[in-house]
Amino acid sequence: MIASVFKVAARVRRSVVLTALAGGLLGGCAVNDTGAAEVWDPIETPNRFVFSINRALDVMLLRPVTVMYRDWVPEPAQKGVRNLLDNLGEPVTAVNEVFQGDPSRAGVTLARFIVNSTLGLAGLFDVAATFGLERTKTDAGQTIGIWAGKGVEPENGGFYLVLPLAGPSNARDATGLMMDYAVDPFQILPIAFNWNWFYYSTPRYAVNVIDYRSRTMFALDDLEKNSVDYYAALRSAYTQNRAELIRAKREKTDTKAELERRDNLALVR
Amino acid sequence: MPLRPSRRHLFRLAAASTLAGSTLAAASPAFAADPASDLISATAQQVIDIIKTQTGAARQSAIAQVLATRFDLPYMAQVALGTHWAKATPEQQARFVKATESAEAKAYSERFGQYGGQTLQITKTTSRPNGVTVVDSRLNQTSGQPIKLEWEVRQVPAGLRITDVKVEGVSMVMTRRSDFNSYIQQNGGKVQALIDELEARAGR
Repeated sequence: MIASVFKVAARVRRSVVLTALAGGLLGGCAVNDTGAAEVWDPIETPNRFVFSINRALDVMLLRPVTVMYRDWVPEPAQKGVRNLLDNLGEPVTAVNEVFQGDPSRAGVTLARFIVNSTLGLAGLFDVAATFGLERTKTDAGQTIGIWAGKGVEPENGGFYLVLPLAGPSNARDATGLMMDYAVDPFQILPIAFNWNWFYYSTPRYAVNVIDYRSRTMFALDDLEKNSVDYYAALRSAYTQNRAELIRAKREKTDTKAELERRDNLALVR
Repeated sequence: MPLRPSRRHLFRLAAASTLAGSTLAAASPAFAADPASDLISATAQQVIDIIKTQTGAARQSAIAQVLATRFDLPYMAQVALGTHWAKATPEQQARFVKATESAEAKAYSERFGQYGGQTLQITKTTSRPNGVTVVDSRLNQTSGQPIKLEWEVRQVPAGLRITDVKVEGVSMVMTRRSDFNSYIQQNGGKVQALIDELEARAGR
């Protein structure tokens, strides 16, 4: 038992060092770019290759399964599944909110997690929302984006990257994905207690993929139908959407810092 | 613990206004005087009326009419073509604008085909020094999270016109621009290839 805890600690430490390294690398190449121009995509050829494989898998398997899920599974069941998955993601969001300098928001997220895990029957029902604890979702990609510095526009997430199965990403968000994995208690616990990864993590991942696909169905179908180069259109839309999320947070923290600065000045006067 | 009663209150307000029958354009009186937000709510109301009363080809032509009168489509087409606009001949430019106009009309009437009682709520209007007014709004859905919509409004000789729509931060014009630019690059840097493709799609 104790040995396995150490094993986890070593694993986490290793991945933290790796992610810190990767973060440094991407920070180094992300200066003096306004992000207003095209998305930086130096490995476009391999990206397009992965993209076409993802798309083939999507057309043959994922999309049909998702359509069946969307049309055949009753609405309340879909909602329950979504709540369950959202609840499993709350600890990671709370950790990120702390690192984004918003501990009060992290407190709400943690309270949501506790309420929904108990009263909400392991997260099947979002009871916390009825108490006025509203859900927020964030990830380490956004945390990196917020701390990336004033000179780096949020449109600049390092090089664009298409991940196998997971789809559009970039250096920043892929790094964030690894960091989130390293701090997720629902990834660490199965290792700590030597649960079978296959029976525990695969269903969560599979259901997550289907749920996520059903949520993005309308937008992606629309984008595909109305673009002449779907790859480029999705690359642009993904980058803009991620930038918007980061920008909203940056502006909020900037305003807060500005207000605090003014308060301090008022105290001096 | 910071609860957010104001936001909840806002939702309840939105729900109440929907129930009251004033379906769309639940703009609060504070913004009613602003011409840019008036343009957005009027456009939304017009679109809802079209969807409720017309179908098929009639709907598509009515939507095209709305796009032509409320949006600055030639300007949007020009921005979407980016640096390739200047390189195109006037004849190519005209064909390109025409092709994108019909593509947009088709896309929008298909998008609105799935309309299910959403309401548009204008939240904020900001004027920028460069003459652009940005109207923030929220599309409240019957279930699930509201969608964030931002409208870019510009003054042109003919009046106020919408020049861009951002859905959850994704600008329609910027996405088109990336899309078109990449397509042109894939086809030897020729604008004609893009125009041919767009015209072929319009015919389909």
